[in-house]
Amino acid sequence: MNTAIELTGLTKDYGSRRGLDDLSLRVAAGEVFGYLGPNGAGKSTTIRLMLDLIRPTSGTVRVLGMDPRADAVRLHRRIGYLAGDFVVDGRQRAGECLSFLGDLRGGVPAARVLDLADRLELDLSARVRSLSKGNRQKVGLVQAFMHRPELLILDEPTSGLDPLVQQTFLEMVAEAKAAGQTVFMSSHIMSEVEAVADRVAIIREGRLAAVDTVTALRERSLLRVRIDFAEAVTAEEFAALPGVTDLTVTGAEGGATLTCRLDGRPDALVKAAARHTVTDLRAENQDLEELFHAYYTGGRPGAATGPTR
Amino acid sequence: MTATRHATSSPALPGASGAARAFGRSMFTKTLFDNRRIFTVWALATGLLALMYAGFYPQITADTAASVPEAMSGFGFDDMGSAAGYLQGAVFGLLVPLLVTFYGAATGARMISADEESGYLDLLLAHPISRTRLLLQRFAALATGAVLIAAAVLGAMLAIRAGAELDTISAGGFAAQAVTLALLALVFGALATAIGAATGKGRATVFGAAAGIGVLAYAVNGFAPQIGADRLRRLTPFHYYIGGEPLKNGLPLADVCVLAAVTAVLLGAGTWRFARRDLGR
Repeated sequence: MNTAIELTGLTKDYGSRRGLDDLSLRVAAGEVFGYLGPNGAGKSTTIRLMLDLIRPTSGTVRVLGMDPRADAVRLHRRIGYLAGDFVVDGRQRAGECLSFLGDLRGGVPAARVLDLADRLELDLSARVRSLSKGNRQKVGLVQAFMHRPELLILDEPTSGLDPLVQQTFLEMVAEAKAAGQTVFMSSHIMSEVEAVADRVAIIREGRLAAVDTVTALRERSLLRVRIDFAEAVTAEEFAALPGVTDLTVTGAEGGATLTCRLDGRPDALVKAAARHTVTDLRAENQDLEELFHAYYTGGRPGAATGPTR
Repeated sequence: MTATRHATSSPALPGASGAARAFGRSMFTKTLFDNRRIFTVWALATGLLALMYAGFYPQITADTAASVPEAMSGFGFDDMGSAAGYLQGAVFGLLVPLLVTFYGAATGARMISADEESGYLDLLLAHPISRTRLLLQRFAALATGAVLIAAAVLGAMLAIRAGAELDTISAGGFAAQAVTLALLALVFGALATAIGAATGKGRATVFGAAAGIGVLAYAVNGFAPQIGADRLRRLTPFHYYIGGEPLKNGLPLADVCVLAAVTAVLLGAGTWRFARRDLGR
């Protein structure tokens, strides 16, 4: 498996502000990789290090087998980049801007730009300044995708896009993947990347909190269980059971309701509950969004103890 | 750029006019194109002001010339009787050099700082263009604007020369003064570009610093003779711009070399630092 991005012991010290702390990560070529974390966690810092816009305090970065600093120009030819807040000179018209950026890359076929603009419903003759945030973001998407780069680095690509355009964007990512391109995209919202990402990394306070496939992360999540009983039960009976946390028992005359989180096998809980008359039982997966918030806030998200691999 | 171009064979994009496309081919021409109105206004305004002030020469009498205070002699107002003396005072001693100082400071502050402040520089430098190349191509556009200003001033002088009784000065003298004028603009353009490139400070700060240094240098050059510190003048670019009296003596080669060398050193230092530092956000 070829490696598109390899970060080793990457540290960026900003003095007072938090940067990155000993971050190691490998992204395979052809993979769609989601890079998640709350605002300020270090997502943009990582991306700007990969593009040689800033330099690491220590550690190394290899992108497409190259050193971002020494090979900046050669490397940038093969990358498409969308910044977190996409800014261009607002006096230009969108088409003028894309034509110039294309020429910086040695020229991009106009048909390709027209096709992308058409799909995103972007008016190329409008002045950039007059565009809404969402439409400006479309200019950013077009310039990142237009030259079919081997590696797309997208920082919060869907911010400001309406849901319909988000869908188009996801299609574009899927097409890029089908064409063998690698996509590294950051977000602070899990649902934005879970549909397309093969793997996701979660970073928090400049450190890697987890790297895994979306499926595996989902499996790691806890069950939320709710059991209704026909008679009163006490919390003590269930509190000590393996895997049970956050237990509450609310009693009503002629019945009781138990809720808890369950980690691991449900066997013990089911057997304990079976000693009473169970009138209703519901169990649902903790949704991924919740799981990510658990990672963000540093809480233990689930069964797995060592989330990195 | 060295890569092959496909754009020539494909239709234009909406919004990209023929001129915009033609000028969009390099960072240098793009910067020129984006600044076409600003550069034109600078050149026209400076040319017109020079024209107006030079046009007053026939009305300068021996009396008004004598009434110039002694303190102004350092600024070139010591010889208001002759055409060259008058122009070295009012036009090329005061108005025009301060204007090009501000041109250099203002334009230089936009070459790196403005786009770094807005975040546009991140996008540009994620493209296949090195930091050094971007800086030098942008400075080349600034230099083109400076040449335009000097050419407008020269054009104005040559146009008014006979009518305003300035024909004691040769066309070569005017051309020589225009050359040092362009170089003066380059010095302050390079200073502002370099401050922005080296420090990453915002546009207003960079402009303020470069313009402040310019005004200070101008004052030192003007007041140094009165405090008996003529040597201090040699530290300011204004001395090399007009101290050799190009209007009378033609092109002062040594002074031209000093101004060019200062520009090169400032630009070199700015570029060196720019290529090594983190871009700000």
